[in-house]
Amino acid sequence: MTAAAKPPVDAPSANAATPRTSTPGAPGPTGNAKTSQGDPANHAHSAKRAKVRATVAGWGLVAPSLFGVAAFLLLPIVVVLWLSMQRWDLISDPTWVGLQNWQRVLADNSFWKSMLVTLGFVVIVIPVQTLLGLWIANLLTKGLPGSALMRVIYVLPWVCAPLALGVVWNWIFQPTGGALNELLGTHVQWLSDPAFALPSVAAVTIWSQVGYVSLFFMAGLAVIPSQVIEAARIDGASPTRIFWSIKIPLLRPTMFFVLVTSIISSFQIFDTVYGLTPQGGPGGSTSVIAFKLYQTAFRNYDVGAASVIAVILFVLLVLITLVQHTYFRKRMTYDLS
Amino acid sequence: MTSANITANRVRPLTLVGIYAVLVTGALLVLGPFILSVMTSLKTPQQLATESKLALPWPLTLENFERLFSGEIVDFSRSILVTAGYVGIVIVCQLVFSILAAYAFARLNFPGRDALFWVYLSTLMVPAVVTIIPLYLMVSELGLRNTFWGLVLPYLFGSPYAIFLLREYFRGIPQELVDAARIDGAGNWLILIRIILPLSRPIIATLGIITAVTHWNNFMWPLIITSGPEWSVITTSTASVQTQFNGNWTIVMAATTLALLPLILLFVAFNKQIVSSIAITSFR
Repeated sequence: MTAAAKPPVDAPSANAATPRTSTPGAPGPTGNAKTSQGDPANHAHSAKRAKVRATVAGWGLVAPSLFGVAAFLLLPIVVVLWLSMQRWDLISDPTWVGLQNWQRVLADNSFWKSMLVTLGFVVIVIPVQTLLGLWIANLLTKGLPGSALMRVIYVLPWVCAPLALGVVWNWIFQPTGGALNELLGTHVQWLSDPAFALPSVAAVTIWSQVGYVSLFFMAGLAVIPSQVIEAARIDGASPTRIFWSIKIPLLRPTMFFVLVTSIISSFQIFDTVYGLTPQGGPGGSTSVIAFKLYQTAFRNYDVGAASVIAVILFVLLVLITLVQHTYFRKRMTYDLS
Repeated sequence: MTSANITANRVRPLTLVGIYAVLVTGALLVLGPFILSVMTSLKTPQQLATESKLALPWPLTLENFERLFSGEIVDFSRSILVTAGYVGIVIVCQLVFSILAAYAFARLNFPGRDALFWVYLSTLMVPAVVTIIPLYLMVSELGLRNTFWGLVLPYLFGSPYAIFLLREYFRGIPQELVDAARIDGAGNWLILIRIILPLSRPIIATLGIITAVTHWNNFMWPLIITSGPEWSVITTSTASVQTQFNGNWTIVMAATTLALLPLILLFVAFNKQIVSSIAITSFR
């Protein structure tokens, strides 16, 4: 916006081929005759040319990514809004149905159930993984030998395909022939009992994300000045007291950041659910919102309804992001090296 | 470092045992499923059925992998090739186009630049799950459903997030270096290739690794845009092995082992870069 209004002073530096001809300091009696010929009119002309060249170069360089952003990030939002008012089964041509899909989805119990399932998932995952991550981070920042190796091990699941990890855990959770029941000596139907299915999916998610979450707390703990902690220690504060009265309050920005980003990613959980319960769990007990969206569009061929779900999810996530931006203007940097 | 040592020295022996007990138990819990996946993939179905699930695989067998590669139900060797091609082309195109855009945003002054950058930043809020249905419609309309190009198309033109990170990095490069090159008559291309890129190797390597991890693991888009074994990637093949070899867990674990192993190796080789890249990728 501002750049478009008037040619900024340093605009010529963007000009590649003729760096000197367009330098604003050039005109005048001592102007470099070799390049600007000391002619104000000529100079103005070349400055204009420089601006045109910078414009062409700038837009030319961003063109491919601009196409990508416009076609695959912005256009889909328009298309999904349009699709939410169409009846489409993936095969025949879409037909306009107005707000009918919206009425159907909002009156559909299974949609609200999947919202509840998602909420339940978030409510289990977020507190547990945040507290566990905080605890592990606190243990790993005590400077004990082996901490670096432990940190690497704990992050490993976060790098791996959630789908593949879901499938491995699916086997571990098998009621007969699964490793977990053998280990515990039980016969729990981890994934086919409606009471256990969602907690099991949540447990796997927590298992795969705790190390990642702890990385941020470790970074947050690392920047707490050691003098503060030393001072408290000299005053006789116990490690527990130091943790709750000094570390936790100073970790507030990290805490807020971790909470918001993990809430946003929890609302989109899909791969782990698919790996563990390819049918969405007994009675839809693990059918989180992203899974419901997939199922509605690509298994029930009801793209209109699925698009409504997509729009609702989008609005929900944008709202959470806006809350994040309102309370979290300043960007934080973490040094985890 | 010194403060860490002080802390370490102050921990009482009993507390120390407790801390290590917690950390080692945690590490075993984290590694357990990986070890189980590899172990089970090397067992015969008979051994899995008759012995403890935690028993070591003996005699070792590769028959599960052979069946995966035989093309009997899924053609896993083809999936690996398709995935490698998909990841490779996405890394190259995404990096090239992101670098070009980031250079323009960081080093050129053109009308509309700031507004455009704001648009790029705002697209970071668009979740992948939301765009998946319209993308399916668009790619189908182009006649690219169940093709390699349909699979890679949405990811080829650069990512706003990579552009954002590269731009920050490019802006940190001293302007004097760029000015000196300009005075020597270097144009944008020369400046980008001879000055900016050599100085930006760490961030480019980091972005390459992130892109590799993200797309090797990508599941939802391949799941809907491809069908059948032809363009199936490793994640979708693993999912279909699970449904089609239902109950044959030794084969299923061979599939998950193949899906997990390359990333485990990548992680072991580059764990420092990955850990620090997690830091930069996650704050926005």
